[in-house]
Amino acid sequence: MASRLRPWMPCRPGRPGAATRAARTAPAALSLAVLLAAALAVLAAAGVQADTRLLSARVVTPDRLALRFSAPLERTDPANFRFTTAQAPDVPIAVTAVRRAAGDRVVLTLGQKLSGSEHYRLEIADPPLSRDVRPSTWALLITVLLSSALINNFVFTRYLGLCIFFGVSKKRDTSLGMGATFTMVMVFTGMVSWAIDSFVLRLLHLSFLQILVFIGTVAFVVQFLDTMLRKTHPGLHKRFGIYLMLITTNCIILAVPLLNAQGSAGPLESFALALGSGGGFALALFLMSCARERTELARVPAPFQGLPIAFALAGLFALAFMGFSGLDFFR
Amino acid sequence: MSAALRPLPKLGPAEILRIVASMTVACLAGAAMLGAVFMATDRYRAAAALRGERAAIRDMLALDSTATLVEVKQFLAPERRQVVYRAAPLGAEGAPGHEVTFTLDGRPAGERDVAGGTPLAAGLVPLGRMFVAKRAGVPAGFVVEGESRGFKKRIRMFVALRPDFSIADMRVIEHEEDPGLGAEVATPWFRGQFVDRSADEVAKLDVTKDPMPEDWRAALLAMAKRSPGGSARHAALLPRERAKPIYAVTGATISSRAVTDGVRATVDHFRRRWALLEPHLGGLR
Amino acid sequence: MSTVLLPGPAPTARQLILNGIFAENPVFRLALSLCPAVAVTTTVANGLLLGVAVLLVQVLSSVTVTLVRGFIHPRVRIPVYTIIIAVWVSAIDMTLAAFTPALYAQVGLYVKLIVAFAIIISRLEVFASRQPLVPSFFDGLGMGLGFLFALVVIGAMRELLGAGSLAGIPLAPGKPLLFFALPAGGFFSIALLMALFNWVERRTTGKSSAGGAGGTHGV
Repeated sequence: MASRLRPWMPCRPGRPGAATRAARTAPAALSLAVLLAAALAVLAAAGVQADTRLLSARVVTPDRLALRFSAPLERTDPANFRFTTAQAPDVPIAVTAVRRAAGDRVVLTLGQKLSGSEHYRLEIADPPLSRDVRPSTWALLITVLLSSALINNFVFTRYLGLCIFFGVSKKRDTSLGMGATFTMVMVFTGMVSWAIDSFVLRLLHLSFLQILVFIGTVAFVVQFLDTMLRKTHPGLHKRFGIYLMLITTNCIILAVPLLNAQGSAGPLESFALALGSGGGFALALFLMSCARERTELARVPAPFQGLPIAFALAGLFALAFMGFSGLDFFR
Repeated sequence: MSAALRPLPKLGPAEILRIVASMTVACLAGAAMLGAVFMATDRYRAAAALRGERAAIRDMLALDSTATLVEVKQFLAPERRQVVYRAAPLGAEGAPGHEVTFTLDGRPAGERDVAGGTPLAAGLVPLGRMFVAKRAGVPAGFVVEGESRGFKKRIRMFVALRPDFSIADMRVIEHEEDPGLGAEVATPWFRGQFVDRSADEVAKLDVTKDPMPEDWRAALLAMAKRSPGGSARHAALLPRERAKPIYAVTGATISSRAVTDGVRATVDHFRRRWALLEPHLGGLR
Repeated sequence: MSTVLLPGPAPTARQLILNGIFAENPVFRLALSLCPAVAVTTTVANGLLLGVAVLLVQVLSSVTVTLVRGFIHPRVRIPVYTIIIAVWVSAIDMTLAAFTPALYAQVGLYVKLIVAFAIIISRLEVFASRQPLVPSFFDGLGMGLGFLFALVVIGAMRELLGAGSLAGIPLAPGKPLLFFALPAGGFFSIALLMALFNWVERRTTGKSSAGGAGGTHGV
């Protein structure tokens, strides 16, 4: 969000007083022409004395920062730039070289390695400009989404929702319906509880009521979705309603608001975490149901029949999901 | 459970009222009880957290009871482009403290004594904490909180420094690395590798995937266990090892590198900040 | 879940406790509340802490339900049970956070999630809401002990194999089978222990009720 913030741009208004007076006295067509002229004059004035603006700043790993300006930058000596991490704004990172590139671009080489997922701040002395350098909103969203779906998969690395996971992963159809319903409920409860937590509980210092309030929220949202679905989409309700009633008190649903509260997540992160966790759970259910349909046909030793072999399968999936850990799109 | 699926008889308004009333009473009673439990336990939780922190600091710096601990909290004032340090005796609620302000470029911008419990100026963003151990008014060591981006989430650590900024000890206090792999960075043999390296050596510290020599590992474990002769074995091998990089945990090079980078940055930042702060914190005993 | 619900003379305290630990062990036999059984059992100490928390919540909730069930409207039975459990879980969560901060840091999230354990609410529904106070107390105690027993057994197995120690005391040099300390190892440990329970039962009773654990999933 903040990456979209443009540095404050000085913009001198033209002479609105004259323009409006002319518009009041002259006929409509003339007034329009005058207004147009005034607008053009403002634009021209701004163009003449427009400052150089910093259009974008992007980390190019391992140690470069690519900047794009609206006009050529005059001073390109390293002392003109100050680059710091958000964690240590008082300790600048050394700028070792500055290179001009085509199209009003400037590339800074820095004295230490940078990470595309960290937050930095760039300040320029002449002309006075500053900008937060951080991954874009989309990048953040996708990172949280994928990390909660794959790296920290609820089932295979956080071991949540196992009862329901082993309960409904016997058939592929059921698992798909369940996965979709779970994702929907998780997103809804995640957002509602986020709002309650940040606007009510935290402000009133009532965080000790978290569990009670979140459980209530889940029950309420499930009931609400059930009623809505029944009234608006009876067909869908017939298919998913049975799953809805099964979820009211389930640890996987409750874990989303608890994790968000623990990490003091913002609205966007909460949304991405809920969606990613739900998607990850659906993925786990689907994979597991495919594998379990096959073990039905396999010859399993008698003591292992039923749940034990399902647990062993889950163990194999967990082993495979370990491969996702360390996945980073910005490193 | 099957009872829930059967259609239930319609409820009259009186019944509904009774249900609503009983639910409300149940919720209120529950909330009241939780409030009571919260008030009863919160004091102990805060005290336990403080006790744990104090014990860790004393242990890392091998302090006796004559040393006093000062906690320095660092804040950023983004609009004013200033860094504010507030120092106060660790854990002494209501004790007077001292506040020092610098510009981002390190020029002094004011200092004042603050009474205990003085609220912070609005808009301050917390940056981190450091602890200064003093004996007879002279710094006996520092513990600095640092963090680094690990394999999964942030790794938080305490780095203990001697007055000459060599490393006295290091602890990983919070991490979410995989047990058995990345989580090994919190074990004594890994963190022991940092001990006794000078600040200049730390600034150039790198990580290697080479296997760790067995005698070095045994010496680090013996030192961590405080077994007799452990420190001597460590001291005997240190001249050979201090010029070498940190040996990474097998299968967890990224976590090992994250911790090493974190220690390096923590020490570097602290040295610069302390150079500014030192002349201003003389009054705190 | 049949033995204790049959009409007849009330079961004794000893029967109820043994029933909870072996015949209806919540993890190995009823296959309820599996999440923490994998999540927190990398060491014995973690398993013990969560086991104790569940034991307390189960006993306290069972007793509370038998005391207040006369006032509960049957229509809102389940929501009221949920509130009772949530209150006890919050209370125990805060107490553990205050007095065992080091262990709590590792299992905190799962302590909060006890509120969603199927085993607790199902015991309230099938037992505590119908039986007198004393048997309810012992049923809660038995179920809690069964859960504690399961967590400690899994924790011991994983700690011994994965870290070569038991309750923090090193027994073997190095890490014999690191795999068991990893997430995947938790699933395999439970698979092996469940199979063992099944095998022992087949041996002792002579009948093949294998997969008996597979049928009874709670919500």
